[in-house]
Amino acid sequence: MWARWWMACRVGAIALLLLAPMVGAVLSGYQIETHWQRPLWLALAVTVGTFFCSWLLQHIGWFDRFGGRAASSTPAVTIGQSGPRPLWILLAMALAIALPFVVGKYGMSVAILALIYILLGLGLNIVVGLAGLLDLGFVAFYAVGAYTYALGYHYWQLSFWLALPLGALLAGLFGMVLGFPVLRLHGDYLAIVTLGFGEIIRLVLNNWVAVTGGPNGVSVVFPTLFGLEFNRRAKQGGTPIHEFFGISYSSDHRAIFLYFLLLAVVGLLIIMVIRLKRMPIGRAWEALRENEVACRSLGIHHVTVKLSAFGLGAMVGGIGGVFFAALQGFVNPSSFTFFESAYILAIVVLGGMGSTTGVIAAAMVLTVLPELLRDFSDYRVLSVGIAMVLMMVWRPRGLRQRRRPFFALPTAAEENRAAALVPGVDGR
Amino acid sequence: MQRTRYFLRLFAAGLLMCLAGEPLMAGEPIKIGMAGPFSGSDASFGEQLWRGAEQAAADLNAAGGVLGRPLQLVKADDACDPKQASAVASRLVDREKVVAVIGHFCSSSTIPASTIYADAGVLMMTPGSTNPVVTERKLPTIFRMCGRDDQQGVVGAEFVVQRLKAERIAVLHDKTTYGQGLADAMKARLHALGKKEVIYEGLTRGEKDFNALVTKLKSLQSDAVYFGGYHSEAGPLVRQMREQGMKAALISGDGIFSEVLVTSAGGPAYVEGVFMTFGADPRNLPAGRGLVEIFRKNGYEPEGYTLYSYATLQAIVAAMQATQSLDGEKLAQWLHENAVETVMGKKAWDGKGDLRVSDYVMYRWDDKGKYKELD
Amino acid sequence: MDIYIFGQQLVNGLVLGSTYGLIAVGYTMVYGIIGMINFAHGEIYMISAYLTAIFLALLAGFGLHSVPVVLLLVLLCTLFLTALYGWSVERIAYRPLRHSNRLAPLISAIGISLILQNYIRISQGARNQGVPPVLEGVWRIPAQAVEQQFVQITYQQSLIVITALASMALLTWVIHHTALGRACRATQQDRVMANLLGVDTDRIISVVFVMGAAMAAVAGMLVTLNYGSFDFYIGFLMGIKAFTAAVLGGIGSLPGAMLGGVVLGLAESFFAGFVNSDYKDVFAFSLLILFLIFRPSGFLGVPEVEKV
Repeated sequence: MWARWWMACRVGAIALLLLAPMVGAVLSGYQIETHWQRPLWLALAVTVGTFFCSWLLQHIGWFDRFGGRAASSTPAVTIGQSGPRPLWILLAMALAIALPFVVGKYGMSVAILALIYILLGLGLNIVVGLAGLLDLGFVAFYAVGAYTYALGYHYWQLSFWLALPLGALLAGLFGMVLGFPVLRLHGDYLAIVTLGFGEIIRLVLNNWVAVTGGPNGVSVVFPTLFGLEFNRRAKQGGTPIHEFFGISYSSDHRAIFLYFLLLAVVGLLIIMVIRLKRMPIGRAWEALRENEVACRSLGIHHVTVKLSAFGLGAMVGGIGGVFFAALQGFVNPSSFTFFESAYILAIVVLGGMGSTTGVIAAAMVLTVLPELLRDFSDYRVLSVGIAMVLMMVWRPRGLRQRRRPFFALPTAAEENRAAALVPGVDGR
Repeated sequence: MQRTRYFLRLFAAGLLMCLAGEPLMAGEPIKIGMAGPFSGSDASFGEQLWRGAEQAAADLNAAGGVLGRPLQLVKADDACDPKQASAVASRLVDREKVVAVIGHFCSSSTIPASTIYADAGVLMMTPGSTNPVVTERKLPTIFRMCGRDDQQGVVGAEFVVQRLKAERIAVLHDKTTYGQGLADAMKARLHALGKKEVIYEGLTRGEKDFNALVTKLKSLQSDAVYFGGYHSEAGPLVRQMREQGMKAALISGDGIFSEVLVTSAGGPAYVEGVFMTFGADPRNLPAGRGLVEIFRKNGYEPEGYTLYSYATLQAIVAAMQATQSLDGEKLAQWLHENAVETVMGKKAWDGKGDLRVSDYVMYRWDDKGKYKELD
Repeated sequence: MDIYIFGQQLVNGLVLGSTYGLIAVGYTMVYGIIGMINFAHGEIYMISAYLTAIFLALLAGFGLHSVPVVLLLVLLCTLFLTALYGWSVERIAYRPLRHSNRLAPLISAIGISLILQNYIRISQGARNQGVPPVLEGVWRIPAQAVEQQFVQITYQQSLIVITALASMALLTWVIHHTALGRACRATQQDRVMANLLGVDTDRIISVVFVMGAAMAAVAGMLVTLNYGSFDFYIGFLMGIKAFTAAVLGGIGSLPGAMLGGVVLGLAESFFAGFVNSDYKDVFAFSLLILFLIFRPSGFLGVPEVEKV
């Protein structure tokens, strides 16, 4: 008990040292205003909080997890299991289809955003999770997709349905062109090159005012469905969809249309990824991720295999971009910052690197959570940061871990525990 | 298992409480959205907007509210990110059921958000988005309380050519929607006046070292530098110009209208001779003087957009009181036709939602770190 | 080309590059030892800028006006507290993830960077802050220059270059000639082996974070004094630039970080000065990509040899 108080007091003292100048002395012009009681209260809260957390965690038995030493009693060899049961899939599908009729406009906009992030997460998952290539500039391909539609519409009246494959192709092409010289590089250098590439794309979009409109962005028209428009009144002799079906106009129709379209695309992508994982190319990706040297000695051409993953991921990013442009009705480079890449990467890592369900869950958490936290107003982004750190510490391997056959040597602690569970083994 | 069930119950109870917590009484407050960047790199402007709107709501409520109901502001953070801007816009419209919105601030946020408000028939008035596109689309319920970049740039260009008689004019911007829009407008007017700039370039927002650019300006012997951007870059820029021995005047727009410019430039000595365009200072208008005293008494200098957001709320409320209605389209129609008396003087809007009279004037900073209107 | 303009751009690039180099040290050391890109490092630099301003104001409030004493005291306080921030961040967000997959710390670093940014925004306000000029004065070459025909360096700029070089030299000496430095190098080469030989690797990793934070603190203080302006968002851009510098120089190499910083600073200055400042960053990143394709290990990095 006293040891715990002592530990909490040390933590509190450090907190006091850290907080005192920052919270206690607020800059105002070249002077400061002092609020000495604030850091004291905060440090006290930290002390008491540390004490109770440590007490609580120990008694509930979660402490092991928080220490990152996941206490799982997995056997030495884990056999791969099939994915979620069909029942769950059906339930999820029913929920997804019912969603637009339950939530309002705001719920729909969050849901569409979540779907776009699921799409992006799944795309990056092919690159990072399956092929093991760390990509810190995924947003570049997202931007290529979005601008393909925006500029295509602006200059050549390109329709959404044409922009969709074109954006994917163009993004894939960019991925290939970038990937070809770079994929020879080892691990982290790829990460850095992609980071640089992401920034270059954004900067070029921002600077090349004559073509891209620079920071002013480009306006995008909302897609049509077989020539039917979603506006209250149709432009240039088109038919608005509500007149065609004889229903009253509602701006919700657009959101519902986009939602189901995205849902279909995401569904197709999930099926594709599941199939790919079982095909030779998917196996090659994962093998390459685990051990590149071994793969090359077995005759797998590493550049082609990596390039296929990189290009495919980029294509998905491009599709996400086209949808983003359609949703926003306006694109400008400020949507494609490095932070966006980092956020998509966070989705993949939090989702458990390679797990489709995990990525979906993580994308939903990371898009819905900041919206739920809107009530915290000033503390919203702070809370998102805290949540990211806590989730990582709690589940370092992601929400859903890969279920594939793999050999894992049990750690010493697990061996002891296993030994203690088997009577007689330890000689007692 | 026991514990899991316990937590599940706890969760369900929490969920129920959240749902029950939604107030659905009659006579509830009138909700007005206040959207702006309250986090991210432009949060300092968000703070100004919030202070103004908060004070306005408090004052109006003290005077008995609107239509017998109190006003309630709903803070909505868009971080100047277009994606978040559309999300908060639908949240304000759909979840919070706001009647009107003050905001957004960054033009790149205002443009996508305004389509959502227009679609839902919610009145939106931005206190600070000066990009022409905001109103050029002629959305019926979209207004602004500030001028347009093309008006502001014109004043800047005429000042540089006619008052300063500058010959070698440099035009810089910070590559944002606002900064570049301003610089472009200035450049266009410059060309119309028969002058050509010696350099037209952008600098990177968020950087502090512009020495290389300043050396280049020096080598071009420019005698006036027009900068479209915010004070966080203008401060270091002017300081580095003076440090390198450049005496050219720096002229900018409303983005540097803040006493923070002095802090970010490293002291009043550096801002002397900096010029900027802004609406006639609301703090000097007779209507606003008393209000400024109240702000100062609370320890806050109402600078930049503080009074703009105050006036925006006043205009919205004036329309509500005149029409006895909370319907966005009716409010908008009234605002298109009538003038409103605000802390910033009398304001009226044209068919597009722009202010009828733009009153940009030139200010000059002195060596005490204060600015004064040029006559 | 005008020789004075050229010389001036050289000075500009050198000053800018020195600050990049100082911050790049933090990236390069952490990467060298645990193979992780510490995205929160830029925020540590941002924190040191705030601490500098706070202590300057505090000391001025106590009536201290002797410039060298003030600077020294501010440096010590900032150094200590920034290092403590670096240590706490490692302790809270990275140590629990030591044995998990390599990307997990990357994500928690992004989380930490959000936390630190918003912590400062909430506690200090979002507005731009500044410090008054402390050290004013300028050297000009030639001293009796006619109109605009000179190359100049201010006292503060020279302080940046000198301090950067001195602290790099000190750090290199510590790494190469002390027991602590030996332990660091051992941990970098083979963590498990070092541990078996009695090196407390967890402590060494903490020490590395503290050293990186201390260098960022030096940079933060010098930059703040020189440019006099900062806000809670400066860490982001500076972090990316410094990281680029670390990679250019060869990530994992200390002198490489400094060299990479200077090269990046010079490249930016010359490109902005003689070509176009719009595309300055595009140029910097293209340089990085080309460099990585043709010489992946940077200027001074050692090529990785893959063992099977």
